[in-house]
Amino acid sequence: MIDVNAYLGHFAFRQLRYNTAAGLLELMDRAGIERAVVSSAASITYRNAQAGNEEVAAEVRSHPDRLLPFAVLNPAYAGWQDDLKICHDQFGMRGVRLYPRWHKYRLSEGACLELVNTAAGRGMPVSIPIRVEDRRQQSWLVDVPDVDLEEIAGLVKACPQAQFILVSGSGFVSSSLGRKASGLPSNYVIDTSLLSAVMANELGQLLANLGEDRLVFGTGIPFHYPGPALAKLEVLEASDAVKQKIRQLNAARLLRL
Amino acid sequence: MPGSISIPRRTFLESLGAAACLRAAPSAAAKVIDCHDHLAHHSRASWQEDDRKLIDAADKLGIDQLCCSILTPQRPATPEGFRECNQWMADGMRRFPGRILGYCFVNPGHGREALAEIRRCIEDRGFIGVKLYNDYVVTEPVVWPVVELAIQLRVPILHHAGHISWLAQPQPRITDGGHLAELSRRYPEAMLICAHICGGGDWEWTIKALRNAPSVYLDTSGSVVDEGVIEMAVRVLGADRLLFACDTSLTASVGRMRSASLSDADKRKILGANFERILSRRAA
Repeated sequence: MIDVNAYLGHFAFRQLRYNTAAGLLELMDRAGIERAVVSSAASITYRNAQAGNEEVAAEVRSHPDRLLPFAVLNPAYAGWQDDLKICHDQFGMRGVRLYPRWHKYRLSEGACLELVNTAAGRGMPVSIPIRVEDRRQQSWLVDVPDVDLEEIAGLVKACPQAQFILVSGSGFVSSSLGRKASGLPSNYVIDTSLLSAVMANELGQLLANLGEDRLVFGTGIPFHYPGPALAKLEVLEASDAVKQKIRQLNAARLLRL
Repeated sequence: MPGSISIPRRTFLESLGAAACLRAAPSAAAKVIDCHDHLAHHSRASWQEDDRKLIDAADKLGIDQLCCSILTPQRPATPEGFRECNQWMADGMRRFPGRILGYCFVNPGHGREALAEIRRCIEDRGFIGVKLYNDYVVTEPVVWPVVELAIQLRVPILHHAGHISWLAQPQPRITDGGHLAELSRRYPEAMLICAHICGGGDWEWTIKALRNAPSVYLDTSGSVVDEGVIEMAVRVLGADRLLFACDTSLTASVGRMRSASLSDADKRKILGANFERILSRRAA
């Protein structure tokens, strides 16, 4: 099982447990997760996100077989081109993670498009969390809305050669990202972490609308418990072959594992 | 039912690590009770299908009983509105006998009608408790006759709750854990349940606000799946004060309990034993 949505490090507004490499591996072992894409939780609020990437690079160094680091980059901050190069060439980071609302830029801005296209040129997928925390529980210091799904749709259309992993989101079926025959390129996958699986059953609807190659398993650990994501796969009405694609094969293809 | 994947309760409990439950013959103590859920309002064209989905999901996830209410879509609720909801709730209890237990939903602002409706539902229709929403903050005196009647009937009050500190409050009369703690000091014999720790904003605030209110229970429901919430609640409040619940977020709620690092004994209490103890206090 491959988890495309995990974190290491501290988060500014809540204590995280299992946020070291050793802790995360313990949590993954308990949940039966073999590999996880990890990125810095601290970089969400660090002004200089690269400092968090350096922390993650040091943390995962002994676990290249299980922890797959992505670089948190901010195209509105000085030096992201150098940071991307260092993260890819020196740290071996396999993808890029963007937080347009936390870092206060639009996905349609020139610098963002340049970053995404540079990552695509290096074969690095771009991961975009729709949210970090439920908005109702955010600190009084911040007011960070979810990333607008149509804004993401604009980006995937503008950068058809890039590969996107959309995580920690819901409501896709009401947007062009989750509709059948929306005219968008099929260059994005959606993780299961916050999709409903029983009542609204967005997971089942996305499977029907986008096909079995477009969903990937994600948990959001250690922000989240792994159990809810696992329970969704249990109740999903799909064949074992389809579930295996969601659990592992789709992510393995995207991450070239 | 066709096409459904049923996960037996044994599997559910095994996945929770509740092995001790399984070694013994199935008993009332091992029952899994969702103490906060809802059937659909009948103004929804899909209400029957929605109710069926809820039961199917409970089947799949190994939940034995669901304690439900039906709320009016518009609030403040009128007496006609809450009576209609409770009538549909009684119908739901008949459609799913033994599986669905009912809370009587009222708006305390309609004092006489609300009290009469509670008596009718609890004494004549077999409802198990009272559900209050955000018509009033629970510390407002207009609510107190409802609390006193619930004490007299020895039934719990499940109260909608949330604490959002940063945002212009979209529910101006929402109750939070601090209000419930305050009410419990006035009425220590009341069985108060603070709703959805995982859907009511800042859960760390709520848990801390309830620390010194030993008669207030906390339900685990909601869509938020933050790691550590259940463990913190047990650490601060004790496992005896937590009640398993879903509030329609079934995989989130079951998944949280499966992942939480707790003893089997504590999981058994939270999953059903604590709520069975509450139900057993019911007046004859």
